[in-house]
Amino acid sequence: MNDDDYLWDRSGPPDPEVERLETLLRPLGHQESGSIPLVRLDAETTVRLKPDTTYVSAEHTSTFVSGAQTATFVSGAQTATHVSAAQTATHVSAAQTSTHVSATSTAGAKSLRYIPALAAAALIAIVAGGWWMVSPSRPQTPGWEVTTIEGAPTIASRSILSRSELPVGDWLETNERSQAGISVAGLGRIEIGPRTRVGLVSARAGDYRLNLERGTLHAVISAPAGQFFVETPSSLTVDLGCAYTLTVDEAGRGLVRVTAGWVGFEWQGRESFIPAGFVGATRPGVGPGTPYHERASSDVRAALELIDFSRESPETGPALSRVLAEAGERDEVTLWHLLTRVPAGERDRVFDRLARFVPPPVSVTREGIRLERRDMLDAWWDAMGLGTMSLWRTWKQAWPGGPTSK
Amino acid sequence: MTDLAHLVGAAQRGDRQAFGELYARYARAVHGILLSHVPRSEVEDLLQDVFMIAMQRLDTLRDPDAFGGWLAAIARNRATDHLRRTPHTIELTDQALGREASSARGALPRAIAPDQSEALMVLAAIRALPEAYRETLVLRLVEGMTGPEIAQRTGLTAASVRVNLHRGMKQLRARLVHV
Repeated sequence: MNDDDYLWDRSGPPDPEVERLETLLRPLGHQESGSIPLVRLDAETTVRLKPDTTYVSAEHTSTFVSGAQTATFVSGAQTATHVSAAQTATHVSAAQTSTHVSATSTAGAKSLRYIPALAAAALIAIVAGGWWMVSPSRPQTPGWEVTTIEGAPTIASRSILSRSELPVGDWLETNERSQAGISVAGLGRIEIGPRTRVGLVSARAGDYRLNLERGTLHAVISAPAGQFFVETPSSLTVDLGCAYTLTVDEAGRGLVRVTAGWVGFEWQGRESFIPAGFVGATRPGVGPGTPYHERASSDVRAALELIDFSRESPETGPALSRVLAEAGERDEVTLWHLLTRVPAGERDRVFDRLARFVPPPVSVTREGIRLERRDMLDAWWDAMGLGTMSLWRTWKQAWPGGPTSK
Repeated sequence: MTDLAHLVGAAQRGDRQAFGELYARYARAVHGILLSHVPRSEVEDLLQDVFMIAMQRLDTLRDPDAFGGWLAAIARNRATDHLRRTPHTIELTDQALGREASSARGALPRAIAPDQSEALMVLAAIRALPEAYRETLVLRLVEGMTGPEIAQRTGLTAASVRVNLHRGMKQLRARLVHV
């Protein structure tokens, strides 16, 4: 037991100062509103909420009302709407239009103020990107704000003490004792680890781009997929709505570990899709390797290293045997990538192994895979249930000037 | 599959009851994160915004167990965005107290009468701390969460939370001791 146990989990002897602050500050905290029953309001629906408040859903909208004490959201077929219940009225604001839905209210409705509000399902179907384009949360700053987490990071070789701005074209550097954070409204948060050099290449809407020359960054991205890029000496990293850690060593070799969502790696037409729980490596002059599960054995990792980055090695065959022998259902992503990473003569072995876990669709033939037919590879990917390949192609087409196009 | 993964999966499939449960579990953490950044009077509205954004983007979350960190990131972004867009609508009391807290040497007059005023003063002092400490201390002292809960709800490692609590509390004590 140490002095911080009470502060940590209240397990030790109470710390009088911490106790005093808890008591003092607790009233400022979140006031629980209990469970959140949900009611669906279809178009042209009127619902009466206790005690005396009436909400009307407008034409072409559906509404979910939630909250023990209540609250509301209204979403339109093509509008993003947010209803906040006040004491006397409810305002429905659409993406580009504004509708006001009046609500009669009594004093009893005061409790409405704290109601959690939830959006309706139709909201999710808003025309892709449309809402975001008009959203106030869209990043608009020319440079990015940097805060010091530890030590004294530098921007353009000048130390920053607590916070500063990283302009486009400048470099943020940390030494072994410093770390920095970058928060970008509407994009996400990026933490820059020790011994890192990272430059801001672009802060344009839809093309948020860093260049990680060396070191480590942790990114938690909330922007729409395909808008945040990290260039490295051996690949372009494309965020697909996720959280990940990317490391580049002094030789330009990269490693990405994905903890949420997906990351795309691309270099001169060679691409890898790396889901949460997987790791992907890149090498200068070669590009991305085959993603592997983070719990893959060291043997499998070594074998993939050889297959991906020493393709002429006579050891490729035995290395592939090791990978196939250990491959399980969780490794379907690895096997799919291997279909085009191994020599043509080895491709049937990968085909058979992947087929054990994900039967190829009828449109996919062994011959087509041998020939690396893109339509068949895509169809097999689709059968894996990870989202259709057309989705990946969509964001890929939108890549603004990655290494491929240079 | 964890309970959280089950809930998130259900919410991703359109189960609003599941999303409501996620709200119930995570509202306190989101409230705390927002409170460590923006004036108190604006936290409730932003809290709703954060969950609305989360609902819209939930289908992009591939690892359900990472929901906490993902949601925390949305909250931080929303707070930052809000401050950038509305720099002149800061709650008077918080603003005034914030200025006071960040004034010379960080010394904070503690004996300032009514409970709420003192609470706001302490909150302002916490807000004047480095970001990593500020957020963790608000979650611990204001929202009443334990360290393990903070780690679980925000996606931070337990070790990071413990360090942040320790260092943050040390700095806060130093500020409060100048009475």
